[in-house]
Amino acid sequence: MTGTTTIAVAVILFSVALIAWLTFRPSITATRGGKILAFVALLVFPVLAGGMGVNEHIQHSKTTNFCLSCHVMEDYGKSLRVDDRSYVPAIHFQNNLVPRDQACFTCHTDYTMFGDTNAKLRGLKHVYAYYIGKPSEPIKLYTPYNNRECLHCHLGARGFEESEAHSKDPEVLVRMKSNQLGCTSSGCHNIVHNIPSLKEATFWKETDK
Amino acid sequence: MNSPLTKLEKRIRLAGLLLIAGLLVELGSLHWSHPTAFLFFLLLGGLLMAAGIVIYLLSLVSVESR
Repeated sequence: MTGTTTIAVAVILFSVALIAWLTFRPSITATRGGKILAFVALLVFPVLAGGMGVNEHIQHSKTTNFCLSCHVMEDYGKSLRVDDRSYVPAIHFQNNLVPRDQACFTCHTDYTMFGDTNAKLRGLKHVYAYYIGKPSEPIKLYTPYNNRECLHCHLGARGFEESEAHSKDPEVLVRMKSNQLGCTSSGCHNIVHNIPSLKEATFWKETDK
Repeated sequence: MNSPLTKLEKRIRLAGLLLIAGLLVELGSLHWSHPTAFLFFLLLGGLLMAAGIVIYLLSLVSVESR
């Protein structure tokens, strides 16, 4: 349990205790102090606890475990452990190029002003499709993958800017940076999750440290 | 012998019970990392808590103390 979760749980338990006291002795609200206590217990603390709960759920929803908890995402989780350097998600995950506990979110959020909000709204759309609609088969992105998400980390990195494939033709970097030449759709880094090929793939087994 | 509860006290008790139920739903949902937990928290917990708060606020403006 993280620190913020512990605080949220403590606030919830304290609120429950306070409300339970008021519920079983409502006569204390007849006094001025009791009225203030009722206001704090029945309005301030529940709103605070609710807000903390929303924040906790949003933080949980960024975790890799959360994304992979849906059955349809299982194979995408497996693709993070493929023992093949050509798999873009696998090489990022296995080499800590993305935080492993937020691997999905790191690459699939939008790095824009309201990117996280948009990502969460898309998440609600996923939940709707999962429970009420029908997830597409295979799963597809709503919009083509934007280079902006790659460039958020890679832009300015020596390995990116000076790599032979990127710097041989100066136009390549310009077109990549303006999203005219897709990193994952130009034929260079096009092995992403590649779910159909997982049956033949071998997987990396993490050794205990 | 306890005196009977006033209307205000009854409403505060009802609001309190709804809020406790909502908070317990929230507590349960925080220990479950799955999209269903968020729905559970939002739809059930949120509804119970909102109902509790609304009943409490209504009791303040609509019920005479005795």
